[in-house]
Amino acid sequence: MDDIAIIGYAQSPSQRRAELTEPQFLFPVISEAIERANVERRDIGFTCAGSCDYLSGQTFAFVMNLEAVGAWPPISESHVEMDGAWALYEAWVRLQHGDIDVALAFGSGKSSPGDPSEIYPLQLDPYTLTPLGADPVSMAALQARAMLDKGTITEQEMAEIAVRSRTNAANNPYAQVRGSGDVDTLLREPYVTAPLRRHDLPPISDGASAVVLATADKARAVCERPVWIRGIDHRIEPHQPGMRDLTESISTRQAGRHAGIDHGPVEVAELSATFSHQEKLLREALGLGDEVQVNPSGGALAANPVMAVGLARIAEAARAISERGVSRALAHATSGQCLQQNLVCVLEGA
Amino acid sequence: MSRPAAIVGIGQTKHKKRRDDVSLPGLVREAAQRALDDAELGWTDIDAVVLGKAPDPFEGVMMPELSMADALGAVGKPIMRVHTAGSVGGSTALVATHLVQTGIHDRVLTVAYEKQAEGNAQWGLAGGRSGGMGAGGIFAPWMRSYMARAGAPEHIGWMVAVKDRRNAAKNPYAHLQMPNLTIDEVKDSPMLWDPIHWHESCPSSDGACAMVITTEDGAARSPHPPAWVLGTAMRSELGTFPGRDPVRPQAGVECAHLVYEAAGIRDPRQQVDIAELYVPFSWYEPMWLEGHDIAGPGEGWRMVESGETQIDGSFPVNPSGGVLSSNPIGASGMLRFAETALQVRGRAGEHQVPDATVGLAQAYGGAAQYFAMWVVGSTLDAVDQKR
Amino acid sequence: MTPAATEPDDDNSVKMMDYFMQLEYREPLCPVVRRYADQLLEGRLIGHQCPSCGLVYLPPRGYCPICVVETTDADETVLSDRGTVTNYTVVTPVQYYGQHETEPFVRASVTLDGGNATMNLQDLVDVPVDEVRVGMRVAAVWKPKGERSVADISNRSWGSAEGCIDGWRPTGEPDAPAEQFLGKATF
Ligand SMILES: [Zn+2]
Repeated sequence: MDDIAIIGYAQSPSQRRAELTEPQFLFPVISEAIERANVERRDIGFTCAGSCDYLSGQTFAFVMNLEAVGAWPPISESHVEMDGAWALYEAWVRLQHGDIDVALAFGSGKSSPGDPSEIYPLQLDPYTLTPLGADPVSMAALQARAMLDKGTITEQEMAEIAVRSRTNAANNPYAQVRGSGDVDTLLREPYVTAPLRRHDLPPISDGASAVVLATADKARAVCERPVWIRGIDHRIEPHQPGMRDLTESISTRQAGRHAGIDHGPVEVAELSATFSHQEKLLREALGLGDEVQVNPSGGALAANPVMAVGLARIAEAARAISERGVSRALAHATSGQCLQQNLVCVLEGA
Repeated sequence: MSRPAAIVGIGQTKHKKRRDDVSLPGLVREAAQRALDDAELGWTDIDAVVLGKAPDPFEGVMMPELSMADALGAVGKPIMRVHTAGSVGGSTALVATHLVQTGIHDRVLTVAYEKQAEGNAQWGLAGGRSGGMGAGGIFAPWMRSYMARAGAPEHIGWMVAVKDRRNAAKNPYAHLQMPNLTIDEVKDSPMLWDPIHWHESCPSSDGACAMVITTEDGAARSPHPPAWVLGTAMRSELGTFPGRDPVRPQAGVECAHLVYEAAGIRDPRQQVDIAELYVPFSWYEPMWLEGHDIAGPGEGWRMVESGETQIDGSFPVNPSGGVLSSNPIGASGMLRFAETALQVRGRAGEHQVPDATVGLAQAYGGAAQYFAMWVVGSTLDAVDQKR
Repeated sequence: MTPAATEPDDDNSVKMMDYFMQLEYREPLCPVVRRYADQLLEGRLIGHQCPSCGLVYLPPRGYCPICVVETTDADETVLSDRGTVTNYTVVTPVQYYGQHETEPFVRASVTLDGGNATMNLQDLVDVPVDEVRVGMRVAAVWKPKGERSVADISNRSWGSAEGCIDGWRPTGEPDAPAEQFLGKATF
C-alpha cells in the first residue's frame, strides 16, 4: 500500500449537552483541520463522513452535516454509518488510487438528545436480543464480570485505569471528565450495574473530530512533520455474546496483526476503551507492555463523542507524534457492544 | 495503484411487498448466496464485505452490520456499512470496487438491502409526523419544472411507466408484474403528487442485491463471463440553497462527465448500449437523460417518445424494470449497478439486450444531491471497440 | 415465542410479530433557531444574509454552506411575509401511522418579496386546489398571537413555520408573470 499521511486534525471540546446543532459544531472543526493541514478546501479530492441516524433521532441526519463541509461546487463524497475512524479508512482506500492527493474524514455525534440505554439495544440482534433491552452498560458489565471471574482484572485495576484517564485528561482541552480522585475513594462508590461503578463508565458526550489525509508527495510538500499511516485494518467478531469469549478481543488482535503493529515498538496507544476493563483487554489483545503510554489524552473514559471518538483516537495518536515527538503510535476504534468490531491504525513520524 | 476489477457474481432476491418468509439476515443471505453461486465461490473465499442500506430507522435496527456479521460470513474479516441516502446501493458497490482496484483485497462481497415491511418507511420519512408526503412530494415540483422547461407533454411520464412495467414482466425478480399495463391505466390511476400518478411511482419493496467483485486473476477463474468496471464516480452537493437547480443538479452533471471520462466515453448515446438509471418516478427518466448529458436540453423526453429507451430501442433504459418496478430502497441503487453487469455478461435472461457490451448505471439520493455511477463492459476495451 | 405450528410451512404459523418501540429525543433549540422561533412568535420571518455572497437563508442556520463562513445576529434580516407561488404540487395523502390528512392538499414554494428566500412545502388556504397556479400572489396567514406555537420547530426542521402561520392566502393582486418562474425550481 502507498504511504498516506495525516497532515491535519481537529476536535471539538466534548460536552455533556452541546448548545449548537451537529453541523454547527462540526463547522469549525472541519475548518480547523483543513487550516492546520495547510491546504485549501478545493484541494480536497474526497470527503468521507461518519455519523448515526439513531443517535440524532432523524433519518438522513448526515445530509445536514454536508453543510459543514462546503459541498458547493459539488464534491466527491461518501458516508459511513460508522465511527469516523471507518470514514478515515474509506478515505485512505480512496487515496490509494493515486488520482487525488488530499482527503478529509470526519465523525460527529450528538448523544445528548436521546437515552443511550434505550437506543443501543437496537444495535443488537432484533429478534433475540433487542426485545431483552440489553443496554451497553449491562453488556459491558457481563464482560467485566467474565474478566473478574477469570482473574484477568480486579476492581482495583479498573479504578486505577479510571484515575489515570482522568489525570491524563487534565491537560486535554477537549476532555469532559477530568481531575484526580484516588482509587480508594472511587472503590467506595456504589455499583451502577455490578461490577461497574460510575468511574468505569464513559460520559455521555456531544462532539466531532476531523482528520485531513494526503498522499506522500503532497504531505511532504505542505507539511513539516507528516504522520504516516503505516497500517490500518479492521475486523469483526460474531454478534451473539454467547458465541464469543468476552474476556478476549480476537478481532482487535487480528486487526492489529494486519495493521502491522509488531513491526516495531509502540510508544503511545490511544484506545477506544469505553469501559475501564476494556483497556486491559485491548492492551492484551495488542500486546502492549507497561512501557506503552496508553490514552495520554484521557481516552474514551474522559470524552466519548460517539461516532467521533474513534477518529479522535487517531487524531490524538497523530498529535503525540507531531506535537510531542513520539515516533510510533497506534490508535484503536470500536463498534458494537463489548468490542464486537475493532479498527487498528499504526502511525509513525518521519 | 489502480488495477482492473471485475464482477463475477451477481445475486438478488425476489422483490416483494413483504418478504415475511425470511428474517433480515435471511434476506441478505439469499442474495449473497446467489452471488457466490454465480461466481462458484464459497463464503471463505471472500476477503471483505461492504454492506449498504438506507436509514436504519426503516427497519428499526441500528448498525445492522453488527447483527448480520455472521449471516454475511464476515466474522474475522473487515466489514463496512455505507449510507449515502438513495444512492447508497451504488456507493456501496463503488466502495467494494475500490477495495479491489487499490489492491487491498482480491475478492469482496458487496450487499445492499431494504426490508421495508419490517418497519414503516413513510412514517420514517415523515419523522413520525402528519402531513408527510414521502419523497414524491419533494420531487413532484421539480418534475413540473422539468416539464415546463423542456416543454414536455404529460404522456411522457405515462410512457415511461408502461415501458418499465413491461420490462419488469421479463424479469422474474421484479416486484411489480404488469405485462399488460396500458397508457390509459396509468393516466387513469389516482394522482399522488401532481404530476405523478399511482402507476408512475415506485412500489415499496423488500429485497436485497449482492455482487462479488474481484481481480483479473479472479475473473480468469470465473465460470461465467465477467463484467469489467471501466469507470466509477461519486458526486454530492448541498441539498438546499437559494438558486440551486434541483432539476439538473450540478453534481449529476459532473458525476456523469467524470464517469464518461474514466471509461473513455466521448458520446454516451452512441457508446453506451444499455443504461440502468435510478427512476423512482416516471419523469426521472427524461430528467436524467438530460441531467447526465446523454440527451441535449429538451431532448430527453423525445428519446422516450420515439421509443429509443425501449428494450429494443437504440438506447434501452432500465430493461430490468427499474426502480419503478422494484424498490427495496437501500438495494435499489445496487440493482442498477448489478443489472448493467448482468447485461454486459449476457446473463440477463429474458430482459437481455442483444449484444450489450457497455453499460451505464446510476443511483441518486437525498434531495437529488448524491450521485454514484459506474460504467461496465464485457471486455476492458469494450468502449474502444465502439469508436 | 415459538408458534404452535404443526408443520413448518403451515399457513397458520407466525411469520411476523410486532415489536413496538418508542424513543424520545429532547434537544434544546440552538441559539439561531431559538431566535428564529422567538421572532416567529412575534409575527416576523427572519433570515441570515451571508456577508460574503449575499444569499439569504431562511431560517438562519448560523453559517452559509456555500461560502463556508459563519453568520451571526449581525447578518440578520427581516423578510417579507408576502410573496409569489413559484412552484407547487398537489398531494394525495398516503395513509401511514400518524397521518391525519385525508383529502388532496397543495404544497407550494413561496418566494418572498424582496429577495431570493423561498419557503418550500407551504400550505395554501382559502383557494381551491385546482385554482392554484405559478405566479399567484400570496400573503402569510398568521395565527392569532396567543395561538402561535413553536413546539414543532427543531434544530433539524429548517423552514418550518406551521405553528405560527396557518398557510398562505391569495392576496387578489394580479399574478406575477409565470414565465419568470416556470421551469426554474428555486430552492
Ligand atoms: Zn455565502
